[in-house]
Amino acid sequence: MIARALRQAAVLLALALLPAIVSGALQLGWKDSEPLAPGEVRAATVREWGDKVQWVDARSRDKYEAGHIKGAILLNEEEWNKLAPAFINDWDPDRPVVVYCDGGSCELSHAVARRLREEYKIGDVHVLKGGITAWSEK
Amino acid sequence: MRLLLLIPLLFLAPLAHADLKWDKLVQEFKRVPDDKEIEAHYVFHNTGTTPVTIKSVHSSCGCTTAKLEKKTYAPGEQGDVVLHFNFGDRKGNYLKGVIVTTDDKNVEPVTLKLYVEIHDPLTVAPALVFWRTGEAPTARTVQLTAEAAQHVKIKSVTSSNPNFTATLQTGQAGLNYTIAITPSSTAQKESADITVQTDFPADAPHAYTIFARIK
Repeated sequence: MIARALRQAAVLLALALLPAIVSGALQLGWKDSEPLAPGEVRAATVREWGDKVQWVDARSRDKYEAGHIKGAILLNEEEWNKLAPAFINDWDPDRPVVVYCDGGSCELSHAVARRLREEYKIGDVHVLKGGITAWSEK
Repeated sequence: MRLLLLIPLLFLAPLAHADLKWDKLVQEFKRVPDDKEIEAHYVFHNTGTTPVTIKSVHSSCGCTTAKLEKKTYAPGEQGDVVLHFNFGDRKGNYLKGVIVTTDDKNVEPVTLKLYVEIHDPLTVAPALVFWRTGEAPTARTVQLTAEAAQHVKIKSVTSSNPNFTATLQTGQAGLNYTIAITPSSTAQKESADITVQTDFPADAPHAYTIFARIK
């Protein structure tokens, strides 16, 4: 009797979870298939790079101070002249630079990445697709 | 009989609506960083037959704000949306957009576009030179190029670290220069800031920094 009830509960649970699993799989698949803009990199790729990544937070100081990716250095266009020296002192030519913002079109991080490439001729600079939101999704 | 006279009004009623006509949806500006900000006016007219209320002006960036004197405009009335773009330390080409929506379903939301090119009178390329420790201490060169219409003379080039020398070579005075930066040794990590003092603009001449690092 108890075994039958447990079986029925398991079946019900599986049926309830099925739509969530399908939806999750579809969403992940959709995100992975979204095309990358030039210079962008996916969170999954950055995870493979591990600890060697040099993170740059392109958001405002307020947002950075409210929370940022561990080890990230603040560098935004609003305070570029003040913040750039600290970035340059910290920068390691043997580590890839990954710039992030909140998400969406990542206009802020693209602008910072462009300046690092054009003004400082730093080649290994990437923009995190989906920003900190994508990074926070495990 | 009187009711019959009202019948045409029933047909005309749906035709009554607001209609916003904009003088310019796109504006372009070229500025120098010292300008610090820009204000662009987007003039519109309500050419419709009913008042229109602007529900929102939504900016895509915190650096751009949009202002309206008031929200509701009568038929025939003119107004303007003022976009204010704070440069901060920005340089390069920027496109800022603001979406304007009204309470009238017949008036499609419009996007006001602001293109701004923020260009320094002198371009320093690159603004960072580096060597790896142990690498041969060969010179790195930096090109300084003035805007075509603008003569910028270099008054001095100084290094913050005596272990780095910075030598100025003049191509065309006021137009282009080269600075060769050389460390005396790359045995250990070191840094120098090379300061380039110009004569432009005359009232507050700019200085530029080139970062030299041994990594």
